[in-house]
Amino acid sequence: MGPALVLLAGMLLYPIIYTVWVSLSDFDLATFQPSGWVGLRNYQAVLADPGFLQSLKVTGVYLVIALPLQMVLGFALAFLLNVEWRGRGLLRALFLIPMVVAPVVAGGVWRMLLDPLWGVVNYALGLVGVGPVEWIGDPTLAMVSLILIDTWRWTPFVVLIASAGILALPTDVYEAARADGAGRWRILRHITIPLLVPVVAAAFVVRWLGAVKMFDIALAATKGGPGQATDVVNLYIYEKGFRGLEFGSASSMATVVLLITMIITYFLFRLTRRLENRW
Amino acid sequence: MVSTGRLGRAAAIGGAILATLVFLFPVLYMLSISFKVPRDIFTVPPRWFSELTLDNYTSYFNQARILPRMLNTVIVAAGSAIISMVAGAMAGYALSRMRMRGAGVVAGLILASRAVPPIALVVPMFLVARRLGLTDQYITVILAYVTFLVPYVVWLMRAFFRSLPPELEEAAMIDGCNRFGAFFRIIVPCSLPGLVSTLIYCIILAWEELLFALILTNDKAVTIPVAIAGIAADTEHGGLWGPLAAVGVLTVLPVVIFALAVQKYLVKGLADGATKG
Repeated sequence: MGPALVLLAGMLLYPIIYTVWVSLSDFDLATFQPSGWVGLRNYQAVLADPGFLQSLKVTGVYLVIALPLQMVLGFALAFLLNVEWRGRGLLRALFLIPMVVAPVVAGGVWRMLLDPLWGVVNYALGLVGVGPVEWIGDPTLAMVSLILIDTWRWTPFVVLIASAGILALPTDVYEAARADGAGRWRILRHITIPLLVPVVAAAFVVRWLGAVKMFDIALAATKGGPGQATDVVNLYIYEKGFRGLEFGSASSMATVVLLITMIITYFLFRLTRRLENRW
Repeated sequence: MVSTGRLGRAAAIGGAILATLVFLFPVLYMLSISFKVPRDIFTVPPRWFSELTLDNYTSYFNQARILPRMLNTVIVAAGSAIISMVAGAMAGYALSRMRMRGAGVVAGLILASRAVPPIALVVPMFLVARRLGLTDQYITVILAYVTFLVPYVVWLMRAFFRSLPPELEEAAMIDGCNRFGAFFRIIVPCSLPGLVSTLIYCIILAWEELLFALILTNDKAVTIPVAIAGIAADTEHGGLWGPLAAVGVLTVLPVVIFALAVQKYLVKGLADGATKG
């Protein structure tokens, strides 16, 4: 307990305070230091910035679709991979690969697969008579592509954690239930799901916090476009800070995102606890 | 677990193999690109191979110093994963078992620290590291990674510990173990699948992390993702998709080998039957 807290306090509190401080100041690029105090001016500008608000909306759409999809798919796949046979260890290891491919490379490979002219996906669709699809060029399809790539990349995480949770299920409880004549559906509903709730909840919250921060895949695969169709908020902040060198407004945006994330995370915690207590 | 008929079993295995193939398709595509000559990469319609080449593996291997960077990545990933696992698993255990006032709040705060956008953390970390003269050192990168790994470890391990019955360590403590003994002799072996999965996740996160490594290193401690970003930024030679795919393949291999090596610990928890009788 102790060492973890000290480390976290030292390495996290200082940066957070620093960010809030920068968000309330002008940033001097020559000395790379915050200079004059400007109060809430950065925040006013940021909250009136349509680009920022749009990126929040884009992030919301992505989260609402991608997270449930990855959770359901991940747990379903974990059950499939749990069936005992010789090759399951190999499959589990291979399943980790999408997480390991560097984002730049993964984004590039997917761009190639989805390319409207010479991509393999459109080639395969063409064979069955589906005309060239503008995967990256069309705003809606670009979002579909982003969610597809993100789901490919992070469902393996849910599989990894779900597999461990399923492995830890105590078999004797199942034997007892079956001896009492419980059917498969009742076992799933009254034993498996309640026992897995803590692991499902933990996996969801960890994935949620990872997804909120996602920007590398968006940068590598769609560059936020077309227009702002896939411009997730962290990509927008990144562009403002490191391309536009507007560290003041980038910091204010980061603080706003931090606040929103904290509030939603708090409600997720409450929901998790209620679920854990209910079963 | 749930017993299924012979047919259901075959269907499940078939489904598992099919799902793995679907998920691996982009990786196989990457593997094929890594052996292609440039003129085969962009063709209409997509073409398999007109000739095989190893150029992609050799061209950047020395220039981007892949081997030393691979070693750096191993050191940084292993160091940060081990520190995080030790600190995080113990904290997770405390938070799952101790009837402390505010344990839930502490657990929530630890995890909520992950809500901070990394971009907001990296600039101050760089400034601190520079003031302490610790830029481009393993320890700086390791500590930075520990800050983002520990919350995940705490949160995941807390969930795994919670799914173990408390009778386990109560029995051990009646038999004369103290808290620490019960934790290391009973709880750790019983939650091995959870520990191994969380460790794999930590290694992977540290392995592919780019932003912190990019800002906190510049030469000695540079990791593979930074080297890859370097190759990707080298637009002078046009699209370097062949070499990028090759480096991508090389970075995936060690993690897959590691995962296969630890698979044997990802077995049925030892808690099975421990609460019987």
